[in-house]
Amino acid sequence: MTEKIRIIVEEDKCYLCGGCAGVCPSLAIKVSSSKWEFFQDKCISCRICVTACPVGALEAEVVEGKS
Amino acid sequence: MSEIMKYDVVVVGAGIAGPIVARNVAKEGYSVLLIDKKSAIGAPKQCAEGINISVFEKHDIPYDKRFINREIYGARLYSPSGYTLEMRYNKVSGVILERKVFDKMLAFYAARAGADVLPRTEATDVIREEGKIIGIKAKKEGEPIEIRADILVAADGVESTIARKAGINTYAPPHEFDSAYEYEMLIEGFDPDLIHLWFGNNVAPRGYVWVFPKDEDRANVGIGINSDNPMTAKHYLDKWLKENNIPFKKILEVNVGIIPVGGFLKELVKDNVLVVGDAARQVNPMHGGGMAEAMEAGTIASKWIVEALKEENFGLLKNYTTEWWEKDGKRLERVLRVRKVVEHLTDEDLDVFIQTLSGIDAEKIAGGRYSEVIKALLKHPKVLMSPRRIALLKELL
Ligand SMILES: Cc1cc2nc3c(=O)[nH]c(=O)nc-3n(C[C@H](O)[C@H](O)[C@H](O)COP(=O)(O)OP(=O)(O)OC[C@H]3O[C@@H](n4cnc5c(N)ncnc54)[C@H](O)[C@@H]3O)c2cc1C
Ligand code: SF4
Ligand code: SF4
Repeated sequence: MTEKIRIIVEEDKCYLCGGCAGVCPSLAIKVSSSKWEFFQDKCISCRICVTACPVGALEAEVVEGKS
Repeated sequence: MSEIMKYDVVVVGAGIAGPIVARNVAKEGYSVLLIDKKSAIGAPKQCAEGINISVFEKHDIPYDKRFINREIYGARLYSPSGYTLEMRYNKVSGVILERKVFDKMLAFYAARAGADVLPRTEATDVIREEGKIIGIKAKKEGEPIEIRADILVAADGVESTIARKAGINTYAPPHEFDSAYEYEMLIEGFDPDLIHLWFGNNVAPRGYVWVFPKDEDRANVGIGINSDNPMTAKHYLDKWLKENNIPFKKILEVNVGIIPVGGFLKELVKDNVLVVGDAARQVNPMHGGGMAEAMEAGTIASKWIVEALKEENFGLLKNYTTEWWEKDGKRLERVLRVRKVVEHLTDEDLDVFIQTLSGIDAEKIAGGRYSEVIKALLKHPKVLMSPRRIALLKELL
């Protein structure tokens, strides 16, 4: 079974720049003017957002599969 | 029941592309609403603020000192081992803007031309009726509203959420984005009449470090690197500042963003929805600048919106795609090809090329006579000895 992850934001590091929402292939992240939101049902566990964040504010937590 | 508003055109995003479209369409007498999720249009900035001087006349933007920090006369490039190449013109070639003021003024020009403008208003989804998009859902200061419009313009930047919700696939792989990080800070010792760019695979993988002066001793100091790099942009910028003994304790702003640099959306229009600017990835893939490109796309898009409304024929909107590809698309495709070649240069290649170029007539480079420049490079002994370098350069010819 493939790994399923959850993306967590470190709010105090995040600048709400919207970049992660832009690189996410499946609209699983929404960045509004005041908050960062994650939609588990849309996430395809690719980790693209985690690597792309210019300040490293995102982390992946394994929720299912190999750990 | 949420409040319902009705316009001919709704534009999502008041960065660069959005206000240009809103202004041009409103000027022709059509009703336009321009919205942005930010509470203050233009802030925070996510930009190094450098732009070519030609855009003011071309896009009918006043040369207003309120948003021009500094006039720039050229650029200096630095190779990994410290060879430099200077291109200095005897007249102003570009400016460093104050985007917080610039974006706000562009929205002001749109409002003055007749458009309504609402900040702190976030588009959340499109509204469909019988398969057709008839408007958007939005939140205005937290309250749900519906905005009905005949035409929807997605100018929502790199996030490109609205285009994607409208069924336009704007996806690009992570390698085709740059991750960027920047300080606006006090910095001394760099010629404030030039922009400064440092290259090198350990300095800024795939990208460069920049110093864009806003004052004699104040600049946007930033970096862009490939988004699929395992290290962060912040890591590379802080490392560069430390290694060069540049103090960074007098910081006025921290700016963060991601830039699409790997090619352009093919279909810019779907039915009554148009995508412009970063949302359509209309950015110069070589240097990551996208303001001029956003203005150009906005100008072409607005022309066809006006035609479509005048003729009551939305089929005309497709001409935006055709005209953009003819005008800016072709040029940018060539730039993309160069970027893909440059991406494979080693640090030694960069040293050899920059050293050689600094020896030849800078006028040729500045004048854009690139084939002459490449021919000059091809004559260099260190290039002649390397079939790989010759192959790289031949690809550029
Ligand atoms: C660090 C950095 C440095 C750069 N330096 C330069 C440079 O020196 N020169 C240059 O030419 N370019 C530069 N660029 C690129 C340039 O900033 C962009 O290409 C340009 O801003 C694109 O304009 P735009 O109108 O397409 O999008 P943006 O300017 O990004 O505007 C999009 C707007 O849409 C709003 N928005 C997004 N989603 C929604 C929604 N759902 N509802 C309502 N509003 C929404 C956003 O708040 C934003 O204001 C830089 C980029 C970065 C990140
Ligand atoms: S890319 Fe990073 S800083 Fe930007 S919104 Fe996402 S988590 Fe926040
Ligand atoms: S892991 Fe992939 S799909 Fe999930 S939020 Fe990040 S970018 Fe989107």
